[in-house]
This record gives sequence, structure tokens and C-alpha cells, in this order.
Amino acid sequence: MSDPERSQIELAIDQVFRRELISRRTLLRRGAKGGLAVGAMLTLPSLLAACAPAKTQLEWANWPLYIDIDETAAPDPTKYPTLNAFIKQTGIKVHYVESINDNEEFYGTIRPDLAAGNPTDWDVISPTSWMVKKMADLGYLEEIDHSKLPLWTANCADYAKGLWFDADNKYSVWWQGGITGLGYDPNLTGREITSFDDLFDPKFKGRVGGFSDMRDMMTLTLATLGINPTTATVADAGKARDKLLAAAQAGQFRGFYGNEYYDSLAAGDLVASVAWSGDITQMQLNDNDKVQFVVPKDGAPRWNDNLCIPKKAAWVDQAHKLFNYWYDPVAATTLSEYIGYFTPVKGVSERIKADADSYRANGDTEDADYYDAVAPTVAPTADDLAKTFDYPTLENPADEKAWNDMFNEVVTAQG
Amino acid sequence: MPRTRRRLTPYLLLLPGTAWLVLFFAVPMGYMLVMSLQQGSLSEGYHLTWNWGIYPDIAVKYGNLFLRSVSFALATTVLTLAIGYPMAYTIAFYGGRLKNALLLVVIMPFFVSFVIRTLNWRMVLSDNGLVFGTLKDAGLLDQSFRFLATPASVIFGLTYNFLPFMVLPLFVALEKIDRRMIEAAADLYASRAQAFWRITFQLSLPGVVAGSLLTFIPAVGDFINADIIGARSPDVAMIGNVIQRLFLNSNDFPAAAALGFVLVAGTMLLVGVYTRIVGTDRLTS
Repeated sequence: MSDPERSQIELAIDQVFRRELISRRTLLRRGAKGGLAVGAMLTLPSLLAACAPAKTQLEWANWPLYIDIDETAAPDPTKYPTLNAFIKQTGIKVHYVESINDNEEFYGTIRPDLAAGNPTDWDVISPTSWMVKKMADLGYLEEIDHSKLPLWTANCADYAKGLWFDADNKYSVWWQGGITGLGYDPNLTGREITSFDDLFDPKFKGRVGGFSDMRDMMTLTLATLGINPTTATVADAGKARDKLLAAAQAGQFRGFYGNEYYDSLAAGDLVASVAWSGDITQMQLNDNDKVQFVVPKDGAPRWNDNLCIPKKAAWVDQAHKLFNYWYDPVAATTLSEYIGYFTPVKGVSERIKADADSYRANGDTEDADYYDAVAPTVAPTADDLAKTFDYPTLENPADEKAWNDMFNEVVTAQG
Repeated sequence: MPRTRRRLTPYLLLLPGTAWLVLFFAVPMGYMLVMSLQQGSLSEGYHLTWNWGIYPDIAVKYGNLFLRSVSFALATTVLTLAIGYPMAYTIAFYGGRLKNALLLVVIMPFFVSFVIRTLNWRMVLSDNGLVFGTLKDAGLLDQSFRFLATPASVIFGLTYNFLPFMVLPLFVALEKIDRRMIEAAADLYASRAQAFWRITFQLSLPGVVAGSLLTFIPAVGDFINADIIGARSPDVAMIGNVIQRLFLNSNDFPAAAALGFVLVAGTMLLVGVYTRIVGTDRLTS
């Protein structure tokens, strides 16, 4: 995934107000530059550990709030129930570190070692699709031995393998994914929203929300122009910029939001907004049941993060065991019930439904309602897949800068 | 020997302050300048290429935003002065035994985090919130009215957040004024207005200068208000928002560093001109 807005202070607020169930995206959107500091703190011991002669644990770098956490338990090493079950099962100690806040930023920390042919401190990392390709092309990832991943072979859903960035899953297996689409309140729009173009309706002037994330916004716009965003060129991006800029200068967008779109959409300040699917499920349950989520008919970004082994990692074999474990439907179900993104494992949705039924049978309707709502959201429908694109690849840094510069013009309405 | 020591004393006393300035101001400024002249990307690494061309580039691209930031900050300074002066005057002259309590009330909001205060305003001022929702329900405002995400709302937020920085120096300056001077002016047949303008206001100028600097400087670089109250609307983007975005989202460190450098240097220049015109002695007298 790319980088939503963050600020340290917002993270602090979050920690105060949102201790309960919270998705990784939600927190990131609610901001987490503070996560950087936390990440740095957590990495220090791991660096020290790396200096020690004998390696005692597997080092795994992942995004914040992307795993099930037992909030009642004491901090490390007891707070990740599903991960702890793996540790217990295999005897492989895992040091789980939430140190990725941004693909480029994290890559920047390991690139010097990789370029020099040295091992990094990590055995497992979780980059987004386009970053997997970038690293694989440079020879910075270990090849995966699929004979060691029987559960992946047996349980990986079709939508989660053989993707453009790693056609044979030579270097990566899917961790979790999701879609960036649209959220809207039909009572406020007075009509159905089916396309990103609907947000440009002058009737909604100043009451629609965009994202401050370049990749999300450019992908949505390019799709309305009939251009495949994944392979779009700088010239194509220019067309998308022109369209967004004209709307921004006309005051169509109330703002380009990070996390805060959620509150404004729930409060009705925004009649429609770019939104994350998982969020709207949460919003319907907790904040505003009128808001609907829709995947725009022209297309929307689909993103996923992956499990990879950086070159020269020390514990390649153990990493394979870990990958295999996450394709166990039981582990995958617990994980999905907690974080609610697209799972790569077949049958998880049905399992969550079964859990809902058993809660209902025991008279716990609150949990049953929750799981019933989550169940259909943990796997993309065929329609979702047909309508979604992967993010622009932007393998060339100069191209990426050009795209960023163009999008900066949009968010400041300076063309 | 004692003579040399005496000659050295002032410099020794200056040492901690100078070290602080060098370490936390001059060195970072230099680093920022060097960063701004580099080219590359975060993943490939940045290399110093003495790319001075970035400065005209950002001037063209972001000149408007600099102007907007300065005008927002100026509006904020004028508003805080207009609101803060009567407040400080009342507390200093009529506060009596309540003086300390009143000052406490002024700084009370500071007990809560800057961001939380701003977030609360967003809630209070939202389209259908406490204030505007009520007015809309009463039919006093059009349903489509909105205040958040407009330039006025950002200036409101800045004014609210920086008001105490104006009130406190004004209070200190007004408090120091010898009341007998005002009595003397009255004895010499000055009207109350004349006495205020020629005595009180003139003597409070150090407070006005200090207060406007303390308000203007943080306001010009602020990004929290445009971010939260302004909802990152393109109409309210300030230079601080762009710097934050370039650093954290685009990973375009050179452009962000160049903007930061120009912001700090430009602010120093503006402040320099201002103190030159009003006179630095006002700050210290």
C-alpha cells in the first residue's frame, strides 16, 4: 500500500480514544508518524540482537495494526494470539515488529545492505505489490520454495496468486489486501452513486471528499478516462491531473483527506467520498448505518501486501514455515475476524459466518452481528475483481516524482 | 589576569546560548540547504548536485502558497491584536485581585493539546454540528452553508490558537505602565482618548511588537489548522501543508527542504524588516 497521511499527535489521540477494534488502515489514516518512532524503538533491540553471535528469533517487519492482538494481555511476547500459536506449534520464536509505515521509507532503510550484498536484519518483510516487483527485479528477494508451502498450494484463493508483479509467486505470497472505492449517504446525494465521475456532479460542490494519497486518486481518475492505471504513462497521468485539478480549482472537493474523511463522512459533512471498504463496514456498524460502499463501475485500486524473504536472510527455512502457517484456514479466519481485509485463504468467509451462527446460538447477538457483517468483506467478489486495478507500477523514480508533482498541484489547486 | 577574565566573561556567558543556536538552528539550516541542492529519490539515495535551479522552480510552483500563508498569518496577527488588546488592557487595568485568575483563564486552553483543541473546534463547527446545525434548524442559515474547510475557518483556528501568545506580552507591557503618567496627561488637559493613544498605547508598543512576532511566526508555518479545520481543502493549503506532504507523502526531500529553507529565511527577513521599522529597542525597553 502507499502512504496515507500521518502525524505523530494524531497517533497519540488514537491511542487514547481507540483502543478497541481498529484496523491498520484506520490507524494509518488516523495518522501514525508516531509509529515511525515506535518502529525505530522496536528496531533498536533487533539491531542489537543482530550483533549477537547466535540468532534466536525470526525477525518480521510488518505494517502497524495488521495482525490480531490480545489487548488484555501484557505486551510482547504474548499479545499476538495467532502468531503465538505458531510459536508454540513450531518452537520458532518470532520477533514481530510493526516497522513499515511507507514502502519507500522502509526500503530506504534496507537498500544499502541489499545493494552491498549484505544480509538485512529481517527474515520476513511485507511490501506492497509494486515494491515486490521493484525488489525482485533488482535481485533483492530470496526465491520461495513452494514444496515447503503445502497449505499455500492447497488453500490460496485464485485472486491471491499469479498476479502481475510476481506471476509465479516466485518471490512473494499474499498477506492481506483491499479496495479503495467510494462511500456515500444516499439520503444526502439523493441518488445512487456508481462511478467516480458522480463525485464531479456540480450539485455536490464542496461536499465530496478526495484522498490525499496520490496512487489512490490517480488510479480512480485514470479509470474514468478509460486508461488502465497499472500501465499508465506520465502523459496519461497528465490527463488525470487536468481532470482533478479543474475540479479542485472549481471547489468541487471539500478537501483531500487522510484518516479524517471517516468522521466527515459519518457526520454528513461529506455526501460522498473516496473510502476504504473495511471502513464503511465499520461505519455502518458503529457510526452511520446509512452510508453505503460502492466499487466505482469504471474501476478502482486494489492493493495487497505480501510476505517476502529479503536476500541473504538467515532463517529462510523458518520463514517458509511461517508463510505456510498463515495459509491454515483456522489461523487465517482468526486473523480476518480481527483485521477484516481481503484474505488470501479460501473458505474464510464461510468460516466467519459459521462463527457468527455459533455466537447467535449462544445468545451473543452483538458478536454474531459483527461477524455476519465482516464475513462478506474478507474476500473480493468476482465483480470486485473485474472492476479493480492494481496501483500504477511507477518503477522509474523520475516517473514517480512526476506523478507526485502533478498530484501536489491538485491538492493545492495550483496549476 | 583578572582583567582578561573580565573581558572574557561576556563571551563565556554567551557560550551556552550560542552553542544552542549553532547546534539547533545554524546546523539544521545548513543541512536543509544542502539537502535542497540534492537530487535523487529515497529508494535510490540522494546525491548532491548543487541543483540551485530548485529555488526558481519552487518559487514558480509555490509562490502563491507563500503569499497565502503570509496573508493568513497577517490576518491572524491583526485579529489577535484586535481581540487581545482589550483583553490584556482590561486585565492589567481593571483586573484587581482577579488578575492572576484571569491570566490563568487566558492560558487555560494550553493545558489541553493544541491538536485536541483544534479537533474539538472541527466538531463544534461542523456543517450540522453544535453551532451551525442549530442555526440551520432554526432557519437562520441556509442548509448549504458551511464554515469548515474555508479560508475564514483556518484564520479563525489560527486566531484562537495563538491568542494567548498575543495577550501575555501585551499584559506584561501594559502592567508595567506607571499610572501616574496617565494622570499627568489628564492634568495637562489630555482627553481620555488622547491619553490612551499618546501614553498607554505608545508605552505598550513593546508588547505589541513581541505579541505580533510570537503570533505571526508560528502562524505562517502552521499546518495543523489547515489540516484539521481546513480539511486539507485546496483553498486553504498553506506552505506548511506542502512541506509536510513533500516530506512524508512524496518523499521529495530536496523540494521540501528548499521550501523549509525559504520559509525560515523569508520569515527572518520579514521579521527583520518589521523590527527595523518599529525599532528593536521596543522589544527591550
